[in-house]
Amino acid sequence: MMGKRERKNGDGSKGKNSKRTKVANIDQDEDSLGVDGTVELPESASRHVEEQVTEEDEFGAKDYRQLLQLKLDHKSRPLWLAPDGHIFLESFSPVYKRAHDFLIAISEPVCRPEHIHEYKLTAYSLYAAVSVGLQTSDIIEYLRRLSKTSIPDGIIEFIKLCTLSYGKLKLVLKHNRYFVESTHPDVLQRLLKDPVVQQCRLREDVDEDGQETKEGFLVSKLSGQSALKLNQPNANSTGTPGSSASQDGAEQNGEEKTEIPSDIYDFYQKIDREDEEGEELQTVSFEVRQEEIENLQRRCIELEFPLLAEYDFRNDTHNPDLNIDLKPTTVLRPYQEKSLRKMFGNGRARSGVIVLPCGAGKTLVGVTAACTIRKRCLVLCTSGVAVEQWRSQFKMWSTVDDSMICRFTSDAKDKPMGCSISISTYSMVAHTTKRSWEAEQVMKWLRQQEWGLMLLDEVHTIPAKQFRRVLTVVQAHCKLGLTATLVREDDKIADLNFLIGPKLYEANWMELQRMNFIARVQCAEVWCPMTPEFYREYLGIRTRKQLLLYVMNPNKFRACQFLVRFHEQQNDKVIVFSDNVFALKHYAIAMDKPYIYGPTSQGERLQILQNFQHNPLVNTIFISKVGDNSFDLPEANVLIQISSHGGSRRQEAQRLGRILRAKKGGAAEEYNAFFYTLVSQDTQEMYYSMKRQRFLVNQGYSFKIITKLAGIDESNLKYSSRQEQQQLLQQVLCASDLDAEEEKLPGESNTKSSSQYVRRVGSMSSMSGADDQVYVEYQSKSRKGQAQHPLFKKFR
Amino acid sequence: MRFSNFKMAASMGEKLKCRDLHGYLQTLPSSVLDRLYNHPATCLAVFRELPTLAKHYVTRVLFVDQPVLKTSVESWVQKSHLANHKKAIQVLSDLRVWQDQTLPGGLPGWQLNTIFRTNLRITLLGGGKPWSGTGKTAPDKNAKDIESLSKYALDRWELVLHFLVGSKGDDSVSADIAHVLVHSGLMKQNEQGKPVITPSGFQFLLLDTASQVWFFMLQYLETAESRGLNLVDALSFLFRLSFSSFGKDYSCESMNESQLQFLQHLRELGLVFQRKRKSMRYYPTSLAINLASGVTNASTDTHREGFLVIETNHRVYAYTESDLQVEILGLFTQMLYRFPNLSVGMVTRESIQQAVSFGITAEQILHYLRTNTHPEMRSKVPIIPPTISDQIRLWELERDRLSFQPGVVYNQFLSSQDFELLRDYAKDLGVLMLDNAVTRTLVVTTSGHDDVKKFWRRQKKGQQS
Repeated sequence: MMGKRERKNGDGSKGKNSKRTKVANIDQDEDSLGVDGTVELPESASRHVEEQVTEEDEFGAKDYRQLLQLKLDHKSRPLWLAPDGHIFLESFSPVYKRAHDFLIAISEPVCRPEHIHEYKLTAYSLYAAVSVGLQTSDIIEYLRRLSKTSIPDGIIEFIKLCTLSYGKLKLVLKHNRYFVESTHPDVLQRLLKDPVVQQCRLREDVDEDGQETKEGFLVSKLSGQSALKLNQPNANSTGTPGSSASQDGAEQNGEEKTEIPSDIYDFYQKIDREDEEGEELQTVSFEVRQEEIENLQRRCIELEFPLLAEYDFRNDTHNPDLNIDLKPTTVLRPYQEKSLRKMFGNGRARSGVIVLPCGAGKTLVGVTAACTIRKRCLVLCTSGVAVEQWRSQFKMWSTVDDSMICRFTSDAKDKPMGCSISISTYSMVAHTTKRSWEAEQVMKWLRQQEWGLMLLDEVHTIPAKQFRRVLTVVQAHCKLGLTATLVREDDKIADLNFLIGPKLYEANWMELQRMNFIARVQCAEVWCPMTPEFYREYLGIRTRKQLLLYVMNPNKFRACQFLVRFHEQQNDKVIVFSDNVFALKHYAIAMDKPYIYGPTSQGERLQILQNFQHNPLVNTIFISKVGDNSFDLPEANVLIQISSHGGSRRQEAQRLGRILRAKKGGAAEEYNAFFYTLVSQDTQEMYYSMKRQRFLVNQGYSFKIITKLAGIDESNLKYSSRQEQQQLLQQVLCASDLDAEEEKLPGESNTKSSSQYVRRVGSMSSMSGADDQVYVEYQSKSRKGQAQHPLFKKFR
Repeated sequence: MRFSNFKMAASMGEKLKCRDLHGYLQTLPSSVLDRLYNHPATCLAVFRELPTLAKHYVTRVLFVDQPVLKTSVESWVQKSHLANHKKAIQVLSDLRVWQDQTLPGGLPGWQLNTIFRTNLRITLLGGGKPWSGTGKTAPDKNAKDIESLSKYALDRWELVLHFLVGSKGDDSVSADIAHVLVHSGLMKQNEQGKPVITPSGFQFLLLDTASQVWFFMLQYLETAESRGLNLVDALSFLFRLSFSSFGKDYSCESMNESQLQFLQHLRELGLVFQRKRKSMRYYPTSLAINLASGVTNASTDTHREGFLVIETNHRVYAYTESDLQVEILGLFTQMLYRFPNLSVGMVTRESIQQAVSFGITAEQILHYLRTNTHPEMRSKVPIIPPTISDQIRLWELERDRLSFQPGVVYNQFLSSQDFELLRDYAKDLGVLMLDNAVTRTLVVTTSGHDDVKKFWRRQKKGQQS
């Protein structure tokens, strides 16, 4: 045992270095996109759970049997903790609910199917844990109690390493002055020994709201009351928001108590109390020069004490309060409430990211946050349609009126002056080239404002570069990111932790599905055999046209037509997704259905969508990639995917999200929504499809494989005869390589980090600046030995 | 290439066949069967396993001493159930429970086997000698409780399985048992003369425990005579064991030498518990008691608590400390983690296809998973997530998506004219399978080969002359 521990310590530094180099690599890739950053990540952020060479058993599995001792009462404890940071939790354990809440706070969920869930401890997740107020010792102690086995020393080391310096310092805006605040005076003292920090400090002789201590710190009390005020769903639960959440657990508690070892239960209550109610904490702080904030933040990261941004909005007198509230009829669901309680836990607003499945009411969470802070609010989303949707949601849930909301998009520019809620898109705000005079005025105004809250919708979609520009341009005290899928194929998602803040809450999809908050979806992968003629061509060519061949596979078309017809007969509303525009148009025209893609104008889009929602004759629409995010189509309950973007897990999840909104009625049926992916057999698509499904499978969804659709041969479908198929093949072969490309959306960066160059095909007009494409020359600098991260070029 | 593929298909088709009780008894010579029925326990065991209709016939004629008319037996069932009737009378005559007997009037009839009748009457009505030795034994001061007996039985049985997978050295089982394993085809001698597991052995591992014991005992009995063991003695002893009560001890005073030797083997296998070799009492274990029911189609393994959790994300979690179980799981999963009481594995395409190449079928894997699921999973129907079972089957199917047809290749044509000539001829005959003008290669079916060859010869001659 001792030997192992020593080895672990020895390994620590080595592992760190190797990780550093990886960061540097990513950096270089970004360079080609024209980013030159100068700020770095805190060292421990790139840390992984270090693992010495674990013994492997004869099957190549990691063998921890010698390392871990099984406790005698292991049956009543719910989890195993592997020395590499993976945690396995039994969902049928009586203490599941508590353990789950705890694990969500301290670790990342890896997969959550039905019986045994897997989590992983990461530096980021621990950072998030301490930032919502958990203590290092509590984390270790509670893990120890929940675990069936002894806890490996490496894990304890890791937790200490990641949490001791994190979350201790907060940057608080109070009475329009910035303070660095901490509950640990010793940490502040250490910090102040640093000359850079000293320079940033603002000294004053007397202070009104705290008396000077002998170290020169201001002492104040931190109220533990949650700042969240909500409409309670029923009259009898009058207590704090915390009480309503404990109610749903209460029924089970009675019977459970007997089985749970008392130490787990006692400790849980302790943590719960601290977490939800909070106690009056004594804090010490010093004031900071406003102009030195950026330097201070940077220096703190270098010192491995990243500052958490908190906004004491109730004491902010500089910015006027808005007169908005939730409507009395607006009631939050328990998980929405829970997520917001994490945000407003200590009477202030924390910055961070809330992860809820699509269709689970992210917008309402955002609106409630805005109504709680009641300061000027900026909402950024991905598309013009989403802007409209946010606006109508604001009006639906809160008492806001039209005059207070201002839209700022390329199509709709409301008069900004005097408005307190602005809604815009990322590309609009991050636009770098010349704008119209009018837009320039609005931007100027946006820049001048001091925003209380910045709501970032679909936060996962934004490329780092664009995102950082947004954060530099606009100043907000508190940032709330909303997303459904915190995954990116380039794994840069973790950087959001330091750009916005830690992940505050992540919901369990399956749990919401069981409680009927989101639709119960049947996922299916339909295998469409390639027709011999198409397969021969597919094997024969090596260009991008391969894609066209497997997307245009006549069997796929027939499967699609069959499914559309079948579901239309059941009065379902069907969306068909295709990334490939050639296929999209061809399918839609052949089936005589409306379609939306990039060039479709805003007006036409809205018209089609409205028809789809209200017109009983329009039951099927075809949408390209533009519909991936934030197209809110509550009626749709069937989704058919005919072509997709490689192996993107995020796209798959986002698309599923289009049909996730809870459906009315149909409670008796097992499923009330259907998600089909059509895959041409024996082609690349099979491989991609497997990759794409990983995220949803990890959330507990299962994909049923359909090798043959019953009744497809009997129904009268297009492209059934060989002659028709031949004609189709000729059409496909005549198509240009350009048609085989996926649609490129403006503002989308190439996520493949391996290639240095991005090759885009575009028409003359798009080269010259139409379609929002911009020609910019990038210079890649060679920087040696400098591990700099592009995300931290500038703060705020 | 083609040849090797054929061979693989053959070895894949070699499925482990496991006969049930009747299947086994039918293979025995009639004289042995008649002698077997000398013991009431055997008669009851056989009777118990009969199809319901056959049971009904037997009870109906049990107390009728004369033969019964075949036509009257047929009249007992409605026409629509004739198939059942045929099956029942087939089983009864196969097992020699009754025999053809011509009635005085020359009409065909059935006559119950007299020995069988007498002994079945005894079992049903009582009387006769006590089944197990001399009955009462003195109280045992080292008596075993039921729990430790079950554990003992499973431990012993696992040793045999361990030997099978070769994880516990060569001396863990006696030479006789090892011989049975080799004889049964579960193991074979490798180049060094050491026994190693065969594809059938892998399939054997995936059976539930009761079926494993049954299969093994059948193999044991087949080799029994070569070991000088009286088959009838052994069989009737086994049947007697299956009617004994669990947790009770029995005396072995009245047993003869061959039976005592048999007892020692059963002891080694864990079917009975005996404290010392010389001690004159034994305890039958649950393995022995459940034996006579033969192959079970039970949905759970009665001898072991379920320990597998199968998730929709292809993970398999095994709550077990037994190396053997992990070993078995390792046959078709990729093992990821081992905790003191939990192993985590994953079903992947590679792992399943590897298992299939061992000769294990998807159905056998699914059966194993199904019979060993954790109680937490039982509430669901179907027990295994359908996506997983579908996927495993599909992976298995992936291996034989190619079909093979023998053919004859013609190539190295001197001119494209020759090639086209022959190709068109073969096409007209309808025997052309494949042609490639660039490499001037064509393939015709074997049946068309002669015709095409003749045509080509004629053509050549014509050209030369």
